[in-house]
Amino acid sequence: MIETAITFLLKAQNPDGGWGAHQGKRSNTEATAFALLALRTVGDRSVGASIDRALDWLTERQNMDGSWPLTDQLKPGSWTTALVVLSLAHVGRHEQQALRGANWLLSQEGRDPGWLNSLLYRWAPHRLATRLNPDLKGWPWTPNAFSWVEPTAYALTALKKLRPHVQSALAEDRIRQGELLLYDRMCKGGGWNYGNSVVLGEELPPYPDTTAIALIALHDHQTAEANQLSLQALQHMLTDVESGLTLSWAILCFALYGQDVAAWQQRMARTYDKTGFLGETKTMALALLASRDGAKTFQV
Amino acid sequence: MVDRRRFLKNSLAASLFPLIKGCYQSTPWERAAYRKSNHSRVAILPAASYDTPLKNVVLDGIKLFGLRVHGKTVVLKPNLVEYDPAGVINTHPAVISAAIEAFRSLGAREVLVAEGPGHRRDTEYLLTSSGLHAMLKDHQARYVDLSYDDVQLLQLQSRFTNLRQLYFPETVLKADLLVSMPKVKTHHWAGVTLSMKNMFGIVPSAIYGWPKNILHWAGIHESILDINATLPIPQFALVDGIVGMEGNGPIQGDAKPCGVLIFGDDFAAVDATAARLMTIDPMQITYLAKAGEFLGNVTQDRILHIGESLEQFRQDFRVIDSLRHLKTLSA
Repeated sequence: MIETAITFLLKAQNPDGGWGAHQGKRSNTEATAFALLALRTVGDRSVGASIDRALDWLTERQNMDGSWPLTDQLKPGSWTTALVVLSLAHVGRHEQQALRGANWLLSQEGRDPGWLNSLLYRWAPHRLATRLNPDLKGWPWTPNAFSWVEPTAYALTALKKLRPHVQSALAEDRIRQGELLLYDRMCKGGGWNYGNSVVLGEELPPYPDTTAIALIALHDHQTAEANQLSLQALQHMLTDVESGLTLSWAILCFALYGQDVAAWQQRMARTYDKTGFLGETKTMALALLASRDGAKTFQV
Repeated sequence: MVDRRRFLKNSLAASLFPLIKGCYQSTPWERAAYRKSNHSRVAILPAASYDTPLKNVVLDGIKLFGLRVHGKTVVLKPNLVEYDPAGVINTHPAVISAAIEAFRSLGAREVLVAEGPGHRRDTEYLLTSSGLHAMLKDHQARYVDLSYDDVQLLQLQSRFTNLRQLYFPETVLKADLLVSMPKVKTHHWAGVTLSMKNMFGIVPSAIYGWPKNILHWAGIHESILDINATLPIPQFALVDGIVGMEGNGPIQGDAKPCGVLIFGDDFAAVDATAARLMTIDPMQITYLAKAGEFLGNVTQDRILHIGESLEQFRQDFRVIDSLRHLKTLSA
């Protein structure tokens, strides 16, 4: 699995230094950030040039406001900024650029659903279509949209990684609110889906990949009851899963929570034999992280 | 000093300006978006279950519309939403399989399956858990995750939202034929989700998120109209009505067997027919009522049903309480 993933990533790197969602596709910041983090775990000189080209691709594309766009084609800052900040912070080069990215993250927040929703939440929550605290602000996928679990988890992980350098009342407040939002959006019985635990009175089920990503963002509270409940829920959700993406995130999560992941790694390799992970760059990169000591990447 | 003639001329121009401007702005769609014909045909063909051979039914449906796909690229856009052990949420793999075989037998150069799921980021999980991965492997058919496709920015051809422009995936824009393959389902916000709502799935999530929340803020009905008005390519609808969903759709509803496949080259007419099949009044569905003004035919007198009669397959689809006003038709 490890050699396969390394070979894939080296072969799939575009001439411009970035990676696309699949080999041959336009380079994007998400795939490039994960590929960079994955190749960093290799630790020998054979990948050094590839890492340097990836770092160049990323650092040349930072917007003036500190954000990163998804691709060259899309100029506005995107949710992938958190992933680039995380990767630059972990690599330990370009710290100033990582800090500018972190400051941009602090300037972003999910859309306010309005005072009426706030009032209803307090006085008549049963009248709301979704059961969530509308006053908590996390991060959206795209500007002017609502806060959702995954972009909030990415932003939290990146900000916590840079915490010693971004210490400010604002940063601490955003981290605290982001954590509260994640706990507020948790599904009954533990775990997370995209960000709605109840719609029109019906409980919605959690997703394994989103649960693992949220637990990674909250791993500095790993003894909390909600974390432990969600950890159990994640194991239960994985029963029939055949997906490199989900298994990779789950392995990284379990490793951060101190669990033995050898059996999960074997299962991930068997899944690769069946699906080839659909040739998705980010999955190959995450699988490489999950096959080595990639959990460190997310450790805060 | 202003002479009398100039005063009258200016007054006339001033009084006509709002009228001309009003006429110009009276329709919130560009001329190119108008595609409504005098009449539309919609075919209803029986298909009792997913276990029966479906290729010939699909082939019959396609042939009724004289689609010429020889040497063409056909993109099948199913509705792939969630893990679906009961086969109620997603377009069934058996219908997609039949469509691949049917279009290939008509000489299509490539038939590929493309979707950009709205909630689930893990496409691999969706494909393996739905059985779609094994089926596509058997057919050696390509799957394209539209959320991560290369994109082009298009000006929206109608102005029901204030979005003005959206990115669309190149796989869809370069196709010779786009086939919308929804499942017949109720939808707790939109009323129904059929071939037009299914086009939400082509908007790339890597740009707009999971869920594509920006479309919800812009208005679901309005977004459906703007997206459909902007799709420039030839379109065809093949609706999975073998088992539909009633109640709290599109995910948490209950199975509702109908035993039909519905075909047509006018999405609005197909959706109006499917709504009538569900005993839901299409004119009560905001996006359909509006689509009937420019995108296609919605009123019964403009839709010719070919194949079987609608009446024998009509089912009383249950809706959630807040959508009871949609049920003005009887089974």
